[in-house]
Amino acid sequence: VIRCQLSPPQRPLQASAVLRRASDEQKKEPLASSSQQQFDSHPTDHQPEQEPQGPRPSYTGQGGQESEDYESEEQLQHRILTAALEFVPEHGWTAEAIAEGAKTLGLSVAAAGMFHSDGSELILHFVSQCNTKLSDLLEQEQKLVQLGEAEKKPTDQFLRDAVEARLRMLIPYIEKWPQALSILLLPHNIPSSLNLLTSMIDDIWHYAGDQSTDFNWYTRRAVLTGIYNTTELVMMQDSSPDFEDTWRFLENRVADAMNMGNTANQVQSTGEAVVQGLMGAAVTIRNLAGLNQRR
Amino acid sequence: VYQVFESVAKKYDVMNDSMTLGIHRVWKDILIHKMNPFPGMLLLDVAGGTGDIAFRFLNYVRSARERQLQRRLKHHQNLSWQEISESYQEEKCKSLGDSQVVVCDINKEMLKVGKQKAQHLGYSEGLSWVLGNAEELPFDDDKFDVYTIAFGIRNVTRIDLALEEAYRVLKPGGRFLCLEFSHVSNPLLSRLYDLYSFQVIPVLGEVIAGDWKSYQYLVESIRRFPPQEELKAMIEDAGFLKVDFQNLNSGIVAIHSGFKL
Repeated sequence: VIRCQLSPPQRPLQASAVLRRASDEQKKEPLASSSQQQFDSHPTDHQPEQEPQGPRPSYTGQGGQESEDYESEEQLQHRILTAALEFVPEHGWTAEAIAEGAKTLGLSVAAAGMFHSDGSELILHFVSQCNTKLSDLLEQEQKLVQLGEAEKKPTDQFLRDAVEARLRMLIPYIEKWPQALSILLLPHNIPSSLNLLTSMIDDIWHYAGDQSTDFNWYTRRAVLTGIYNTTELVMMQDSSPDFEDTWRFLENRVADAMNMGNTANQVQSTGEAVVQGLMGAAVTIRNLAGLNQRR
Repeated sequence: VYQVFESVAKKYDVMNDSMTLGIHRVWKDILIHKMNPFPGMLLLDVAGGTGDIAFRFLNYVRSARERQLQRRLKHHQNLSWQEISESYQEEKCKSLGDSQVVVCDINKEMLKVGKQKAQHLGYSEGLSWVLGNAEELPFDDDKFDVYTIAFGIRNVTRIDLALEEAYRVLKPGGRFLCLEFSHVSNPLLSRLYDLYSFQVIPVLGEVIAGDWKSYQYLVESIRRFPPQEELKAMIEDAGFLKVDFQNLNSGIVAIHSGFKL
């Protein structure tokens, strides 16, 4: 999936020229490949959302009345939110950050009224952006493996790297992230945030090569979701240099998950062994007591 | 229209309270809350005669500004002495943060009442009173962050002209907000409302303000006003985007909102 990555220069604002012709944009910028191994969630990355290509869930979810030529309201909203991310460390995930973002695009601060006043759209936009970056990253890695330039990683290493990469995108906003998490848990946000979370986990497993069609599908995703959420929470209160503790926690959890399969088997065989032992003991006692004699 | 409001100006507020049983204050509060003003915003309140919206806006901005300053102070806790002393030398913290309201009305009497009210309530800074016609505003293009018209648009002869003027004076990204009586969809409520409007309101008008005819006119103009969807279409025609409306009290009043994008 090749995507247009744009970095629009400072544009002088004419009266109704805020909504630019989308076709103009496409002619201007050459296709640049997204940065591959950098987990750099540079906040001024502008990524106008052309109509969804691929498995990206669009949480605003509608086609709207955009015509093909002009930039749609949705695209403008995305631009404002992306610009607003820069102000999040200062203002938190609030309408003020959105207002400041709108200001940098040359719009009046009243444009923040387009969004919900608790900042949820900003957070959802950010999460969706991170997930997209993660997908791109994983796809690039997969391409490298297919081209034979890189080794295929074992599953646990792959999962660890994917989760680490995704969590590293939170680092610039880590101070205000607990606020974001709590807003994502608000009832009216839960459908969208769950949707984003599940699709991200699905993506990771997909690139990890999971092709299960049985119940395993559910258990794998549930396990990885658990790992991701707990690691995220650990990261919130981790103060070690470069979050070493978090990555170690992640390693342990992934190892646990891998071992769970073995453990299940072991428990079963131990159980069988114990049962057989008991049976043997019972037979012996009967023999000793002479109850087993047949006449 | 001019004469109606000339006679009505002094008793305007009292009549509002008695006709709507005080709910109009809530409606106006909801409007301001929806606007969510930030310090530094420029508001144009058209047909805002006695200044209700303007005062609420200033209050909201003042408290938002206080919160902003408090947050800044908290942030300052971690600064060195040097930086703290530097920040003290910055310009004095303005309690309104540069926000301004321009109240525009076609009627001098209403403006006079508004000015008196402002003085009485102690609003000194951030207010301007301008005489002007909504169909032809005496302002430059791209000036204001928010344009509001509360219970005024039904008195405008050419609503489309007023909407176009609103579009003109708003900055890109600016917001248009309109609070107005509208169409009640619930049939039972509609009957009760009609009864109340035609029987009670003119009587109140006569008793309190000594003016039956003006309030008869008022009630009729409410009935003649286009319903929510139609007004929304008119706003879209003027060029606004993301136009939406919110019914208050199931349609007795509606807030329409649009953005100049």
